Amino acid sequence: MSVSPRPDTPDVPSDVEVELLTEAPSIAAAFATGVATGLRRPGARGELPGRRLVLTGVTQDVARLADFCRVTGGLIEDTVPATWLHVLTFPLQVRLMASRDFPFPMLGMVHVANEMRVHRPVRVDEELTLSSWAENLAPHRRGSTVDVVGEARVRDEVVWEGRSTYLVRGDTSPGTSAATEDPGAAEPVAGDRAGDDASPARQIALWRVPTDQGRAYARVAGDANPIHLSALSAKAFGFPRAIAHGMWTHAKVLAALQRRLPQRYEVTVAFAKPILLPSVIVLRGTGAPGPGSFAVTNRDASRVHLSMQVTDLG
Amino acid sequence: MPDQLTDAVILGGNRIPFGKAGGAYAHASNQAMLTATLDGLVARFGLAGERVGEVAAGAVLKHARDFNLTREAVLGSALSASTPAYDLQQACGTGLETVIQVANKIRLGQIDSGVAGGVDSASDAPIAVGEGLRKALLGASRARTPMARAKALAAIRPGDLAPETPRNAEPRTGLSMGEHQAVTAREWGISREAQDELAAASHHNLARAWDEGFFDDLATGFLRLSRDEGLRPDTSVEKLASLSPVFGKGEGATMTAGNSTPLSDGAALVLLGTPEWAAEHRLPALARIVDAEVAAVDYVSGGEGLLMAPAYAVPRLLARQGLTLADFDRFEIHEAFASTVLATMAAWESEEFCRDRLGLDAPLGSVDRSKLNVNGSSLAAGHPFAATGGRIVASLAKMLHEIGPGSRGLVSICAAGGQGVVAVVEGC
Repeated sequence: MSVSPRPDTPDVPSDVEVELLTEAPSIAAAFATGVATGLRRPGARGELPGRRLVLTGVTQDVARLADFCRVTGGLIEDTVPATWLHVLTFPLQVRLMASRDFPFPMLGMVHVANEMRVHRPVRVDEELTLSSWAENLAPHRRGSTVDVVGEARVRDEVVWEGRSTYLVRGDTSPGTSAATEDPGAAEPVAGDRAGDDASPARQIALWRVPTDQGRAYARVAGDANPIHLSALSAKAFGFPRAIAHGMWTHAKVLAALQRRLPQRYEVTVAFAKPILLPSVIVLRGTGAPGPGSFAVTNRDASRVHLSMQVTDLG
Repeated sequence: MPDQLTDAVILGGNRIPFGKAGGAYAHASNQAMLTATLDGLVARFGLAGERVGEVAAGAVLKHARDFNLTREAVLGSALSASTPAYDLQQACGTGLETVIQVANKIRLGQIDSGVAGGVDSASDAPIAVGEGLRKALLGASRARTPMARAKALAAIRPGDLAPETPRNAEPRTGLSMGEHQAVTAREWGISREAQDELAAASHHNLARAWDEGFFDDLATGFLRLSRDEGLRPDTSVEKLASLSPVFGKGEGATMTAGNSTPLSDGAALVLLGTPEWAAEHRLPALARIVDAEVAAVDYVSGGEGLLMAPAYAVPRLLARQGLTLADFDRFEIHEAFASTVLATMAAWESEEFCRDRLGLDAPLGSVDRSKLNVNGSSLAAGHPFAATGGRIVASLAKMLHEIGPGSRGLVSICAAGGQGVVAVVEGC
């Protein structure tokens, strides 16, 4: 690893510091650092690290992609899922959030929203340059939100962008009212108000999610947050049972919608009520082919787990 | 029903390069390979969102969960979801049999277009549980009380836990296909040298075809594979001669891993239609399906070789069409084993075989070797069982189109169960 002010990374504003990684960071090591140093964080009074983590020359592992597709219900093909690119950038995200200059303790952060833009189909045989950075620290009625941004390039071309919005509960920066919300945020925690416009009537699919779903996804995605792994480890964090990864649900929905996705599209997701494992969940959405609004709910649609909007970028 | 049959023309095809078992497609299921191949076909012929008459395909090694394999592939593809599909299985004859089915429906006017072919994965083969475990699990699922369930499961013995992997063996004889063919090779006196020569030619021809760009509009790369994985352009008769026999033990054994097809993964599809449908879609017709025949032999007790059925099917087909072997410009004889091709051709040249087994007055004749498998065949490309028919038909149609209208090609594919599927194709 080297920290250099100007490695060969085009289109990065010249005043942005770049940390060039030589290999994918170890998620386990980052988790360990994050937990060990989690108590010494300034919270919303602190500042986000300004640097971008960049990893070049990333080749995609077909066997791992096949596992990812199996666990998320998709079919491996030459074009990779958008959520797979999120998984590839996830180690950079975790490393950034675990680093000592990140203001929040990692384990208290809740992934409330995700936004991805696929600028063109990305092939499994393409070599990628991945980067990640944090921005947009904003007050929220229940604390603060921060966006961790990911980007995938093929040579100089930005092919994929992802934005994960995390909520840090009860931590508001000084001098702001807890009631203000950032209008720019992708409507985080929208599903708290169950039954919003987020549950279009038509049932598209019904899925039985088994108890070990969190462990299965953790193996392929590397996200071994204890709230997903077992009832016991989830209880330690206040959940009655293990909960499904939000990004697993996201990936599962995109895999189910596979043929309805345009070549270039934007998908925004709000994660609402957690899916307690095991569960029966239902994908609902607009009936017509093509993009539209979708939601994952429980059987009678009284609880919304995820709401999604897919937009054609033309 | 129309008074006159319409033509069923071949408009092209698409396959993925064939992989070696455990190779590039080790992690791809039949459904993934078939869907990718179908999407490649749809992209090549501009069929996105279109309803075609039907898609017929199959797989020989097939998971129970893939009961609707082809329909699932259609639903996962860019074709209109209103395209019907079905699965068909006739061992290694699957691909060609689907072509015959689709062509017949087109000729009868029932459909105006269709896609035919198949897929197979030796890497992702289904594994069944042993009979003891299966019975116990079925019993437990029928049980109404926890006690009854526990009792049913208690019947499982450690020996029941060993899985049953699919074997390349005939259920009625217990012999593998290679062991069967070794008997045939010995009966026909097929030499090791002749087999190795045919195998080397297959590799050299296929390598030349790839180099010349012959497959540019017949194949689409998949999962980083851009050429057939088992292809060895630099193999030679000398190198092949150094391999030890694997089938037919002892003195005089001739069949090696080099002159037998390897286990492979892959998929291949062919697009067919009426001449009108082709014109509407501005697609040139490459060839038309003239006729087809399927033969079966009693290899269990009748004293005929397991893979010799095409030796019977071809003479019947030629008689019906009034053709001889001299009337063909291209021969595509599936190379299950080099000795299969050689024994089949030897049978057609044998006065005794043609008289006693086929009831002919004279030998059927000789195959001009310069017209045989000119762009390689299964020994070099590999043989994902149900995919081979689609590979051959699409390639042959392109070759005949290049030769010109009226050129003729003969396809001959042997299959497990003592069957053989053959067809006559004519260039447009």
